[in-house]
Amino acid sequence: MTETQLQPSETAAPPAMGRETSFIPAIWNRATGIAGRRGFLIAFLVIGALLPLIDRNEGDIDAGANALAYAILALGLNIVVGFAGLLDLGYAAFFAIGAYAYGIFSSYQVQPEWWGFWEPFQWLGLVQHMTSPDGPGTVHFTVSFWLMLPISALIAAFFGVLFGAPTLRLKGDYLAIVTLGFGEIVPIVARNVPYLTNGAAGLNGVASPTLFGYSFGVQSLPFYYLGLALAGLLILISLRLKNSRIGRAWLAIREDEIAAEAMGVNRVKLKLLAFGIGAGFAGTTGTFYVAKLQTAAPEMFMFPVSVMLIVMIVLGGMGSVAGVVLGALILQLLQSVILQDMTQWVHAFGELTGIEFFKQLDLVQSIELIFGIILVVMMRFRRQGLVPERAAVTALTHAQQTAVPTRGAVAGGLAPLHRRPIDANKPLLEIRGLSKSFGGIKAVRDFSLDVMPGSIVGIIGPNGSGKTTFFNLITGLTKPDGGKVLLAGEDVTGLLPHVIVERGIARTFQNLRLFANMTLLENVLVGTHTRTTTGAIGAVLRPPRVRREEGAANERVLETLRIFGNRLMPRVQHLARTLSYANRRRLEIARALVSEPVLILLDEPTAGMNPTETLELTDQIQHLKDRGVTVLMIEHKLAVVNQIADKVVVLDHGEKIAEGTPKEVHSNKEVLRAYLGRSTDAVAEAAAAS
Amino acid sequence: MKQSRHTRRAFNFAAVASVAVLASVAGISGLQAQQKTIKLGITLPLTGADADDAAKIKNGFQIAIDEANAKGGVAGYKIETVVFDSATATAGQYDPAQAATNTKKLVSDPAVVANLGPQMSGEGKAMTPILSEADLATITPSSTNPDITNPAMAGTFKPKGKAIYFRTVTTDAFQGPNMANFFAQNLKVKSVYVLDDSGAYGVGIADSFQKQAEKDGIKVLGRDQLNPKEADYTTILTKIKGLKPDALYYGGVAQAGVKLAKQAYDIIPNMIKGGGDGIQGGSFLKGGGFPAVEGWYSTNAGPHLTEDPAAAAFVKTYQDKYKDVPSDYSITAYDGAEVVLDAIKRVADSGKEVNRANVRDAMQTSNLKTLQGAVSFDENGDIKDRTVSVFQYKHDAKYPDDDLTHQNPYIGVAPQS
Amino acid sequence: MESWEILLQQVINGVSLGAMYALLALGFTMVYGIIELINFAHFNIFMVGSFIAMWVMQLMGFTGQSHVLYGLPLTAMLVFVLCVTMVATGVLGALIERFGLRALRGVSGTAPMITTIGLSYILFNVILLGAGADTKNYSNPMPNIRWEFGDAVLHLRELILWGVSLVLMLALHYFVRRTKMGKAMQATAQDQEAARMVGVDVDRVVIITFFIGSALAGAAGVIFGLYYNYTNFGIGYTAGLRAFTAAVLGGIGNIPGAMLGGVLIGLIESLGGQYLAVRWTDVIIFSILVLVLVFRPTGLLGRAAPTKS
Repeated sequence: MTETQLQPSETAAPPAMGRETSFIPAIWNRATGIAGRRGFLIAFLVIGALLPLIDRNEGDIDAGANALAYAILALGLNIVVGFAGLLDLGYAAFFAIGAYAYGIFSSYQVQPEWWGFWEPFQWLGLVQHMTSPDGPGTVHFTVSFWLMLPISALIAAFFGVLFGAPTLRLKGDYLAIVTLGFGEIVPIVARNVPYLTNGAAGLNGVASPTLFGYSFGVQSLPFYYLGLALAGLLILISLRLKNSRIGRAWLAIREDEIAAEAMGVNRVKLKLLAFGIGAGFAGTTGTFYVAKLQTAAPEMFMFPVSVMLIVMIVLGGMGSVAGVVLGALILQLLQSVILQDMTQWVHAFGELTGIEFFKQLDLVQSIELIFGIILVVMMRFRRQGLVPERAAVTALTHAQQTAVPTRGAVAGGLAPLHRRPIDANKPLLEIRGLSKSFGGIKAVRDFSLDVMPGSIVGIIGPNGSGKTTFFNLITGLTKPDGGKVLLAGEDVTGLLPHVIVERGIARTFQNLRLFANMTLLENVLVGTHTRTTTGAIGAVLRPPRVRREEGAANERVLETLRIFGNRLMPRVQHLARTLSYANRRRLEIARALVSEPVLILLDEPTAGMNPTETLELTDQIQHLKDRGVTVLMIEHKLAVVNQIADKVVVLDHGEKIAEGTPKEVHSNKEVLRAYLGRSTDAVAEAAAAS
Repeated sequence: MKQSRHTRRAFNFAAVASVAVLASVAGISGLQAQQKTIKLGITLPLTGADADDAAKIKNGFQIAIDEANAKGGVAGYKIETVVFDSATATAGQYDPAQAATNTKKLVSDPAVVANLGPQMSGEGKAMTPILSEADLATITPSSTNPDITNPAMAGTFKPKGKAIYFRTVTTDAFQGPNMANFFAQNLKVKSVYVLDDSGAYGVGIADSFQKQAEKDGIKVLGRDQLNPKEADYTTILTKIKGLKPDALYYGGVAQAGVKLAKQAYDIIPNMIKGGGDGIQGGSFLKGGGFPAVEGWYSTNAGPHLTEDPAAAAFVKTYQDKYKDVPSDYSITAYDGAEVVLDAIKRVADSGKEVNRANVRDAMQTSNLKTLQGAVSFDENGDIKDRTVSVFQYKHDAKYPDDDLTHQNPYIGVAPQS
Repeated sequence: MESWEILLQQVINGVSLGAMYALLALGFTMVYGIIELINFAHFNIFMVGSFIAMWVMQLMGFTGQSHVLYGLPLTAMLVFVLCVTMVATGVLGALIERFGLRALRGVSGTAPMITTIGLSYILFNVILLGAGADTKNYSNPMPNIRWEFGDAVLHLRELILWGVSLVLMLALHYFVRRTKMGKAMQATAQDQEAARMVGVDVDRVVIITFFIGSALAGAAGVIFGLYYNYTNFGIGYTAGLRAFTAAVLGGIGNIPGAMLGGVLIGLIESLGGQYLAVRWTDVIIFSILVLVLVFRPTGLLGRAAPTKS
């Protein structure tokens, strides 16, 4: 055990502004950090509220209200595409669903026959009894607009989950196509169910919202302010979701969904959540839009609308809340104002120069061409959009960069990393007859192993011997063909990876699967996913319990990062892809540790490290034992294995060919033959003698 | 045209800068105008799928207005137009939301006393509640969906109660059924297959045709819907061929109509085929061409005018000015504008203020002789004359192939129910 | 018409529909098979091809039904128009790859697909703004020869369509399986890095892939125009979705699969329309697309599911 003294200045989180950061980047960082997010929302609301007082033209206010509706749609799509990385090309379908929902429940379109069932609804004011001289009369739905805003969100969310469910296992391209398909089907259905939607002619007679007796009617101003309020609310919800456990889990899925699952994120649940919440935004907007327009027709919700929303997000910045709103407003402004004015100027220019082409040119028609150009240019040159979702980071100070690397210690005497009581006498991990074939290749054959708690077991073997497959079988990334895996007596064979993490097995990857575009802090926070419980609602409301949980998780993360001294701490706000190779390995280990595992699987943890770093890490791994964590480690560096392993297991062609202490295995004939491939008696004797 | 809107926007910015500037600009512009001006809105889908037909309508409006201004205006007022395009690129055609936004801009300009347009009923549905609130009347030369002026739907479309949507064409409530009568009485059709193109107009007119056909004793062997974006209708045409009806009725516009005609020529050349005013026009003729459109019947929701000697002068003016042949809707547009101008004149002559409400009232009581005959409106704003004209495409080698007048000769009036 | 005649006619219709979809799907499925990119722009290259062929024929003096050719002159003209159009669209596709997509090769996530959507939009709108929204009447130099089986009819143009589709499919299949470049393409499809290491010029392979794929799209455009006698800016869209479904059904990346998928979709369309109603065709086809992608993404003939995660 080496030095445990930690110099605070070398391990504490960096100050918000380094001494040598220049002024403008510092302001930008402030602006786009937490203060920036709140600032954006406030600026948005204030400017939005003042605009109609400056430009009183009814048509412009109306265009403004439409622009706000599209901004909300873009926010919703941003959750699906920007946060969770699911390319939804049929988003307009949910817009349609929200619109028709309000249309059906507030107009005379659907009039079922009246019978007793409807009495309580009439009492609640949700329906009206239209009496008729011959017969029981019919039901006229009069659900209030304000009630429908959240109800449409729920209805749309339901469909979001319904349409999202088939796509869960599809890869990105196919997912997009399936969502495109659903986006096409919804208007077709709308056209062909005239009882509900009045078919192609469109639904009419949608009731105007009323507030304290005042009916909105056809005036734009009340809709504008309502739209502003809705947009502000949904911006707040988006921001809160993004900076929460849920948002991080989404970002992790977007970056690398396999790794996310392996860190404890329940992919299925979170993807459906993204679809549902995203659809909900669109449902609310649909209700708003149709209440304003007072008519809903299938042509209003077709593929070009979905594409326009994608263009807004691409322009503004995928994943960036402010960016997406900006993108939406810019495009709407382009369509309704800028291009028309530019056309005027071009016409005037044409008059001036007498060139016929300019006199005829109508730029407004070319808006879709501009959409296409935006998509291509942005993807090529500025994929992060106008407002990137990430703030630039503060550079390290000179002092930090040149500081002597220190290592923290895995201090003994601290609470064990995990919280479960473990029986020290029974094996922690029991593997019985595990096997897996890929086509004709038997990757793992009838493998059995016992791992005692608190021990370090090394897995060695030539390349291709099935070591990583073995890890994948334990952690659920691959399903075994046969055999059992028992953790502390519980059968965990073939469970989903995120469940395995929750039970207490964590892992790192041979080829490093970090979340490259997330910060170090966020990467490791994803590791706490199974030990925290904040859901979407908690993320949005942020009650004290949630804030405490976030604080505790942050603390845990920093504590774990301190194990590596000042190597990772100064860089907590940096993106993972900026790290050096060795630091990335350390980060993966930290990420695995925070999930409070009883068993940690390290896949070649020291690969690529120089001898000094290797020694340091070896030492740190050894002391994980002191924190009550059992280690199963794949390694090629035999020196490491010899130094710390209590037991060594050797694989060759999927079979265990030796098991024992390092020294025993070292001189085993089979092992030598597998590694060196030659007649081994002489070599074995020489080895035994050493 | 669009300069007026530019002027208005510049006017707005000046008002924001300072009240004094506002006052002086108003004062100056008031002083400057020796002649008082009145503005009329023109709302049409000038781009997109219906652009060609919309242009012919706009030209019809424009001729009426230019004639009035050439005579020194109406009751001393010069007529200016404020033009709005209701199409958006996203929709590829008229966009109800855009129509609504345009209408709001229109009603917020106090100088606008009446509107000319729209072309399509989908626009009309979005516009009418706004127009009704503002008491701004509009007159349409081509929107035929009956719902907008249907008294049963007054609550939806004219909340203020007064008729606000005037038409110089009749509605599909008559266009479809009268054609069914024509099929039954004139063509002696005993069985029919009905198709529509899934659009609002097509479904509506096909429905009304079908209902009347059944009443007339024509057996409806089937009803199906075409996807206008699809290229191949051989499946449905084969199915129809197998059923052997006497006739095929197509409710819809040229987009699907052209393809249908071409393929029907191949598969069911000898069947009687007909449609509504959606296929009465240049796009169907030009896109389909002969021999595909040969023999197709089409209707117009108004009397036939372009060969009327009374209209000859108009046709000549149109051809000289725009180097193109007018459509029948150019004439109903011209007539519509005439109705508005006449209403303005009557209001001014009676000494009342020329404002929206008075112009609307005057329009309601119109009784004007126009190119299409005497025009007057019922209490809903619909034209009292319910004539539906029938045409048939017949190739005349003496004239160019896209000359609508000669390649689509007038047959007669469709029988009323 | 007897019911067997109706059935026969609808089968003929369905196979024709299918051949058109297959032709359109060929280039698309080939490109996907090699670089695992869903190229939305493919279907608008098809549309551009039909316009190019129309302009070529107009320049040559054919408008409407002005001339009708037979035999050798007809074949020569068809071959000429096909070649010119295929080269033009091939070059267009190669340019798109070189300047629009190459920089995004290997980028994971949604960026490449979004780029192809953007490119698709650009092509679509350039034609719309340049050539107008109206439907264009196509020249029709083919004679109206037909064969009758009772009341069912088979036209010359249908035979030409089937013939061209089949020939192009076989040619493509042979090219990919037997020629050196074809083998290079297969290698690139398996593993780009490894292919590079054995000396395959991956950049060149990809650009040639795009060239061929787009040339095939152009050929489909020519045949479409000649067959249906019309074109407009929107033909890429609906035909594209049907062809896409055909490719997926047959097994995306599989060339004979495109043919099989196309014919199946065509038959479903015609028989479904006859015995149900035409209005449900879109819903049926989309449902098939969704079902295949969810339950059997490899399609009927496809190889193992792509490995891009």
